[in-house]
Amino acid sequence: MKEFELFIGPQHVGVTGNMMYHIWVDGDTVVKAETNVGYLHRGFEKLMERRSWLMNIALIPRICVPEPDVNEAAYAMAVESLMGWDIPERAKYIRTIILELARISGHLLAIGGYAGAIGLYTLPNWAIGDRDYILDLFEQLTGGRVYHIFIFPGGVRWDLPDGFLRKLGKVLDYLEERMKLYDEVMFRNEIFFRRAIDIGVIPKDKAIEWGVTGPNLRACGYPYDVRKTDPYAAYPDVEFEIPYYPKFGEFEAYGHGCDCYSRMIVRRLEIEQSIRILRQVIEKIPDGPHILKLPNPIAWKVPAGYAYARVESSKGEFGYLVISDGGKMPYRVHVRGPSYTHGINVMEAIAPGLNIADFAPTAFSLDVCPPEIER
Amino acid sequence: MKAEELFKELNVEYEMMKVKGNRDPRYRVKVNADKLEDIIVKFKENGFRHFVALSCVDWIKDGKFELIYHLFSYETLEDVFLSIYIPRDEPKYRSLRHLFPQIETYEREIHEMFGVDFEGNDRLIPLILEDWNDMPPMRKDFDTEKYAKEKYGSIPPVEGGDEE
Repeated sequence: MKEFELFIGPQHVGVTGNMMYHIWVDGDTVVKAETNVGYLHRGFEKLMERRSWLMNIALIPRICVPEPDVNEAAYAMAVESLMGWDIPERAKYIRTIILELARISGHLLAIGGYAGAIGLYTLPNWAIGDRDYILDLFEQLTGGRVYHIFIFPGGVRWDLPDGFLRKLGKVLDYLEERMKLYDEVMFRNEIFFRRAIDIGVIPKDKAIEWGVTGPNLRACGYPYDVRKTDPYAAYPDVEFEIPYYPKFGEFEAYGHGCDCYSRMIVRRLEIEQSIRILRQVIEKIPDGPHILKLPNPIAWKVPAGYAYARVESSKGEFGYLVISDGGKMPYRVHVRGPSYTHGINVMEAIAPGLNIADFAPTAFSLDVCPPEIER
Repeated sequence: MKAEELFKELNVEYEMMKVKGNRDPRYRVKVNADKLEDIIVKFKENGFRHFVALSCVDWIKDGKFELIYHLFSYETLEDVFLSIYIPRDEPKYRSLRHLFPQIETYEREIHEMFGVDFEGNDRLIPLILEDWNDMPPMRKDFDTEKYAKEKYGSIPPVEGGDEE
């Protein structure tokens, strides 16, 4: 039968950002898919080689727009490794607050995007609205809503403002209440079951080899999370669980895992765990300094060497390989974004056999973030 | 199997990278380019099944490119960075995409950004850049400012910007 070519993106409601999927279809079944990226290439890795260690902090949040803080954290940790710095305890807790709020906000966007792709149009509006309360918190804490430029090598930029933790507690209570409504509209909805179970399946035995990380890997039944496997910030001091297929608690583990259903349920449960982590942080946060004394930013030289730092973003493992030659600027920085594998290799491999209508939800369920592919 | 035991078995020397923030040990090893594939296969068979990334570094003063193959084991929670050096004037290596499929994309990017040729990868088509005809842009001798000036001229003044 004759095949048709379709272009999903770069201007399409069914893709997660400025990227394009070129698909070949037979009837309405996808035969082949190719990823086309490059619409957002700004050459961050090259730019970083010509900026000082401190100037880069203002540049790198832009590598992942929905969740910029993971960039700052991974970069800061890599620079601290090279400098041999141990950061203050309070800074670790403040970083945890920022990173967990960013995770909730990233998951809300992913859930909203996915719900929109399967035709549940209420949820995107709710998710964007609820995310705004988190952005309000960010604004109070850092001065910026989307890009925060807050996590510095050596700690965090400012201490918590007065009343911040009280306001944070209120937002957490609110989000917890809202999740019940999300469950009714989406996670216990027949439309979601019909459109998500056993759709967009990643072969379980290939998941690790294909470089799948984060919620997508946990949906395949592997309880791996960087917060547990390679802990950082204040995560070793707080209790939380790693939701993975088929351990879905109050939700049914329908299907065989590795599908859109499991991926979205994992995200839904992670919001709950993030709320739990943040409540413990509010209780436990110690007093003390929030940053080390930084060297003169113009004359700041970092000892030569290699360092790799990784954090768990809402999309998967986010890592920075930072190489210094002892100068005032990084010699080379390589950013390992989770979407690099999810958006290109994994999507190209699991697309054949999907309906056209299931293509966009599958892309959303992988939570691909194009800017981190192109850097 | 622990990374240190594997190094002993393979008879290679390693150095530890400094780690602050994260906890897991990171081993950095310089290996012979001919032996790399066997070493990666050995590591893959012994639990290092997560291929994290392939990075390229341009050591222009030494006239070399460094390719860093980064593996992680979920079983022993260790990172291994396997480095090989290839000459800068004739940057060539063989493709290892049959070991981990995502290596294909990394090779595509490095081919585009550094000009390294990977034999055996038939998909070295442009990934990010479009209609690029200059030297690969991530090389250290590529001058971003000069390129912008030559390609686009000076920044044009905004039309009518001096009125009002």
